[in-house]
This record gives sequence, C-alpha cells and structure tokens, in this order.
Amino acid sequence: MVAAKKTKKTHESINNRLALVMKSGKYTLGYKTVLKSLRNSKGKLIIIANNCPPLRKSEIEYYAMLCKVGVHHYNGNNVDLGTACGKYFRVCCLSIIDPGDSDIIKSMPGDH
Amino acid sequence: MVKFLKPNKAVIVLQGRYAGRKAVIVKSFEEGSRDRPYGHCLVAGIKKYPSKVIRKDSAKKTAKKSRVKCFIKLVNYQHLMPTRYTLDVDLKDVVSVDALQTKDKKVAACKATKQRFEERFKTGKNRWFFTKLRF
Repeated sequence: MVAAKKTKKTHESINNRLALVMKSGKYTLGYKTVLKSLRNSKGKLIIIANNCPPLRKSEIEYYAMLCKVGVHHYNGNNVDLGTACGKYFRVCCLSIIDPGDSDIIKSMPGDH
Repeated sequence: MVKFLKPNKAVIVLQGRYAGRKAVIVKSFEEGSRDRPYGHCLVAGIKKYPSKVIRKDSAKKTAKKSRVKCFIKLVNYQHLMPTRYTLDVDLKDVVSVDALQTKDKKVAACKATKQRFEERFKTGKNRWFFTKLRF
C-alpha cells in the first residue's frame, strides 16, 4: 500500500513537470518528430505512453540508446499522456527539446 | 544528445530497392543540400552478400564465394535504421557525391569499394556486417 501511494505522488509530479514544460519549454509530439529530434540530437528526454506498440517502443529506445538520451515510460496510455500535455488528442510519444523552467530532465532520467 | 549518424556507422537501408541491406555511412549531410532539403547521407552498401565459406572449400571456391557486390547511394535519414555497429573502412577518397554524377564514375567507385569490402571480409572482422539480415 505504501508503494501504491508513492507511485501516485510521483505520477502527479511528472504531470506537473510536464505541464511546466508545455508552458515554458520546447517539445515535439509524435513518433516521426521524436525520431527526427533524436537523429539531430536535439531531444533531451523522451516520454513514451504505456500502450505504445512494442516494436515502436523498442525502436525509440534503441535510438535513445545510441543517442545517450533518457527514456521515461509514462504510467498511462496515450489518451492520458495527451491530457497531461494539455492537448485534446492522443500522444503516444513526445520529446522534450528544451525544458524551460522545469527540472524534469534532472529528476526523471534516473527512473526508467 | 550524442550525434550518431556519423561516418563509419553501420546502418540498414529500410526503403527502396536496397531495403534490408546493410550499409556504412561515408558522408552525412545533416542540414541537407539545395537539391535535397532534408538530412541525408552518402552510404556504401552491400548489394549481394558473400556466401558462407567452409573450411572444405578449395581456394578457387573460396575466392568465388567471397565476392561482394556493392552499391553507393544517397539516402534520406528517415529511410535508414542506425545500428550500434561501426565499420572503419576508409572509403572517403573513393566514394563521393561527384562519383554519382556519371555512370562510369559510379562503376569505378563501386569497384573500388568492392575491393575494400572484400579484403575486409577476408580478414574475418566485422562479421555482422557481411551476414545477410534475416527477415
């Protein structure tokens, strides 16, 4: 029960940090642009929804491994991730290019 | 945050006639060029992989089985899958963009890369690069 409470709190903090990035930072949403940001090494953190197809998830993780960029597996599906970004559409994967005022890059990459 | 589409990187071509073939990046154009306003690179790849050579084979048969057929192409980054492997074969002097302009220059460049690839295959290094990708 303690573990469940802990994940709820960190989950909310991810949402808060993501909201701050949406407001003050630079990001791209969507698979094609995530790969583009990894190829030209602009991406600093990748967030993948939990219902991302496994082949696509592996591909993004492989690119991120080549790039030495952290990947965060978001605890929610693409609908939840879209809502967390403040959008009215589904977002399966997103790439944070410039975190702005948020400390998401410093606090997230430890966890996978 | 580390650029990985650099020369000597082994990649797999995903689209076109050479889909599924392994190639090595010779020169990359990150920002594109006037004719190709997108990130692309010049790759030299294997059109026909060398066959499996066994110890029982005679010298003539080994020579025949170790032949490699190459291609040189400008490919969009989107049509490549990078891998963690590298192939350090010096192709910069042989393969260049102006080698692609005329047919005979291209054939000459392909012949030279064929030599380099074959001698690398015969040493037994970079075995992954010279095995066919099964899919």
